[in-house]
Amino acid sequence: MSAHATGRRHDAIGGVPGFVPWLLIPALATMLVPFAWMVFLSLQPGAGGQLDATRLADAKFDLVHYKELLAAGAFPRYLLNSIVVALAVVFGNVLTGAMVGYALARKRFPGNRALTWGVIATLMVPKQVLMIPLYLVLAKLGWLDTYAALILPFFVDAFSIFLVRQYVLALPAELEDAARVDGASELRIFATIVLPLLRPALAVVAINGFLLNWNSFLFPLIFTNSDALRTLPVGLALFAQGEHATDWGLLMAGSTVSVLPMLAAFLLFQRQILEGMTAGAEKG
Amino acid sequence: MPVRRLLWFVAAVALAALAAFGCSGGSPDKAGRSVVIFWQFFPTEQVKPVLDEFMKQNPDVEVRMEQLTWQSGLEKITAAVAANNAPDLCELGSTWFPGFAHGGALADWSDSAAALETSLTGWDMARVNGKTYGLPWLVGTRALFWNKELFARAGIDTTRGPATWAELTDAARRVNALGDGVAGWGANAGERYVLFKKVMPFAWGAGGSLLSADGTASAFDSPANVEGVTQYLALAKLGRVDRQEQIDDAFLAGKVGATVAGSWILRKAPKQAPGLRFGVSLIPPPALDRGTSASFLGGELLVSFARSKNQAGAWRLARFLVSRDAALAVARVNQAVQPAAVGAIDDPFYANDPNQSALLEQLATAVPTPNHPKWLDMEAAIEDEVEKALYGKVTAAQAVSAASAKIDALAKAAQGK
Amino acid sequence: MSAPAAVRRKPRKVEASTWILLAPWIIALLFFGVYPFGFSFVLSFFDYSPLSPDSARFLGFDNYAEALRDPLFWKALGNTLLFVFGTIPFTTGLALLLALALDGAFRGRDLYRAGFFLPTVVSVVVISLVWKGLYSPEGPLSWLVRAFGGTPPSWLLDERTALPSIMAMDVWAASGYYMIIFLAGLKGIPVDLYEAAALEGASRRDRLWHITLPLLAPTFLFVLVVNSIRSLQIFTEVFVMTRGGPLQSTLTSVFYLYEQAFYKFRLGYASSIAYLLFALTLVLAWLQVKWLKLEGPKS
Repeated sequence: MSAHATGRRHDAIGGVPGFVPWLLIPALATMLVPFAWMVFLSLQPGAGGQLDATRLADAKFDLVHYKELLAAGAFPRYLLNSIVVALAVVFGNVLTGAMVGYALARKRFPGNRALTWGVIATLMVPKQVLMIPLYLVLAKLGWLDTYAALILPFFVDAFSIFLVRQYVLALPAELEDAARVDGASELRIFATIVLPLLRPALAVVAINGFLLNWNSFLFPLIFTNSDALRTLPVGLALFAQGEHATDWGLLMAGSTVSVLPMLAAFLLFQRQILEGMTAGAEKG
Repeated sequence: MPVRRLLWFVAAVALAALAAFGCSGGSPDKAGRSVVIFWQFFPTEQVKPVLDEFMKQNPDVEVRMEQLTWQSGLEKITAAVAANNAPDLCELGSTWFPGFAHGGALADWSDSAAALETSLTGWDMARVNGKTYGLPWLVGTRALFWNKELFARAGIDTTRGPATWAELTDAARRVNALGDGVAGWGANAGERYVLFKKVMPFAWGAGGSLLSADGTASAFDSPANVEGVTQYLALAKLGRVDRQEQIDDAFLAGKVGATVAGSWILRKAPKQAPGLRFGVSLIPPPALDRGTSASFLGGELLVSFARSKNQAGAWRLARFLVSRDAALAVARVNQAVQPAAVGAIDDPFYANDPNQSALLEQLATAVPTPNHPKWLDMEAAIEDEVEKALYGKVTAAQAVSAASAKIDALAKAAQGK
Repeated sequence: MSAPAAVRRKPRKVEASTWILLAPWIIALLFFGVYPFGFSFVLSFFDYSPLSPDSARFLGFDNYAEALRDPLFWKALGNTLLFVFGTIPFTTGLALLLALALDGAFRGRDLYRAGFFLPTVVSVVVISLVWKGLYSPEGPLSWLVRAFGGTPPSWLLDERTALPSIMAMDVWAASGYYMIIFLAGLKGIPVDLYEAAALEGASRRDRLWHITLPLLAPTFLFVLVVNSIRSLQIFTEVFVMTRGGPLQSTLTSVFYLYEQAFYKFRLGYASSIAYLLFALTLVLAWLQVKWLKLEGPKS
């Protein structure tokens, strides 16, 4: 980790008291129980959703649900669709979030405040009433049942913009001012000075975008019809949740599998970017 | 990795993948066949063989089927109708049907459906104001499911199901007394559109009804309905109150003596509880010389929309799907529904399975819900009030009369429009 | 400290680069914003069924008036506010504490971070399903209560405990997420400040109160606003776990408007509820901004 290499540590409370990690262990255990339960259910050959906790001792373990999942021919396709859509949306969220969020935080133009409130306001309307109008728009554009319907409406994200704006507000402007004095253009300042400084915020934007789209269910379901365009949550709902019968084992196995890429993405982002901040700041 | 390089990498991957797939979507059939878009809720593998058979018999038609999910299928259909983008043929649950039919969204099939009058049952589900807007495809009902082992342990005759309310209550009491986490009865609460289907068999069985014959006023506030609700509350006291899926699981785990359930239990049992010994029988009447064995009738209808593009193709496919053999093929693999086609009961699949045939027998006396435009509100009114009684907030009589007042207001309001 | 450099420096002319930076938002708004938001707002003044769009009828403010007279609207709003004010202090507090504890370096810290973040990774639908099982009478939670000699509550089936049960799940599921946002905010605080403070002999508490927390204010506001917006729209948990029951004890505003829109096909009425909720959310966010005295550059 670069911060360690330079000997400069970021540490908000001035060193973690030695007892803290111990204190966190029971908290962490509480966090993990529901997952343990999920993985446990995924390994039970014929269990319902409310396995009797008093009979844990007789539990049998079996990979049958995972085999069933892989045997379902479309599963890899669903996985691939989810990855493609999530990556494309994350790319959009990060890029546009940085651009618009930075402009709202730093630039002076008429209507800045109104625009900022406008961004936040779009988050405040329940999506349940926006769904049908948005469907009408996509139908008019002829984008229903295409990747465009899965990606473009979510490409620019108000949450990401708001997050970046708040982050920029806390950043000192000296670096940008210095570059201006050197005669750098505004877009150049954005790309070479600001963007690297935004890393921690953009890491959060990326994680958030990935999460939301990875688990997004309702809109992908409604905006697409072809099996070839299904994403993982939609596919899982289709083959594991009937009218009166949730196939718990299968659903939990699918969920366990779908958590893994997210976890990998999280570890990647938090190590590569969250930690890279101090190094970036030192360049200036 | 610098942010910018990472971004470009992500963009490149996304674009490459997009290009690889191309943007898929509905394209016209190259062979010049007429395309029927069909949305339905059953797992693809259960329906596909039937559709393949249809296309074999009708080489000029191509069926494009899409499976909907139970959680959000309704939203999807609604959005599609609003955007004039509805499928040609669509499966619709009987409780959703009145909303679509009264909203004017469905194609009127009255004329063509007349020819099928004698070959299908459940027509009441598909009619509104004397017009037919759909074909009954698959139907389902609720019957009494009881655990033979628990009954035996409690010293109850296991050769037949309880024949009267008194027998049923007695059985529930004795099983409940076994202790060890065993419940005599499984009663529903805590969710929508379920409790109604469990209470009404008793109310209907005692002779109760919901609306006046012309549908303009409530007929719910009657001694018969109070009697039915009282019976259900008495049973609930002899067991547990929970949501459907929890009761199902508990029943399959051998922890519930008896409950009102549907044939989905028959599908779950072999996988989830292969050793469970249980019986399925008619929901008992109040007494041998009084009342009837009644139940809730629900089902899946096939409908076309007023603005569907290929209505002729939709009708051809619908007619094929409801035919005895095609419906049986789906019902046989699904196991949780029965064909609406007349004569399906003679099929060996039902004749050889006492549990399935008990459900088919119950179908004969099952009651469909009124196709009133405000039906879902009325159903909710009954559920809300009965649930209050279930939680001991009000008496059965108070619940019935409060629900009736709400139903009456809804019926009157619909009249005024 | 949040006063932007721009306020001091720039004259009135808006540079082209500003428009370029703002372009994505403007384009997105034109494509996917104007119509959906405008249409749904207009609908709130109409009797509109998505099943028969042609027979829509203008009602003026009737939908709004009906909502304000509708006891279920108030019941749902009460539950929603209870949810918001009952979860946010816990979620925010827990997230901040975790972020502070996990900001410094110690062995296994990344594993802790991943562990606390884990709930966020799973879809809300699946989380709700899993917790439904945890809360069942035979489930591990009841078992645990019994093991300590208590009588387990009926969790989701008792009108007194159903909403608190969902709230507890929400705190569990959301804390790790806001922890990450706080962590990112902490990273934005320049190390120099801490080093300077250390030279001046500032104590651990001084650093916390005089550097960390003040500089974290924009992040804090962000977390507060975003979590309020999300919590006011609580839906999926209710949809999966209780459908508003028992006895409407978990009926939330968005679940109620969802039922109106998709079970009763009253999209107009549903929209009016949505915009009443919107107004409330806006007021709440504005109060939070005022409370934390944070505003961006003035135009």
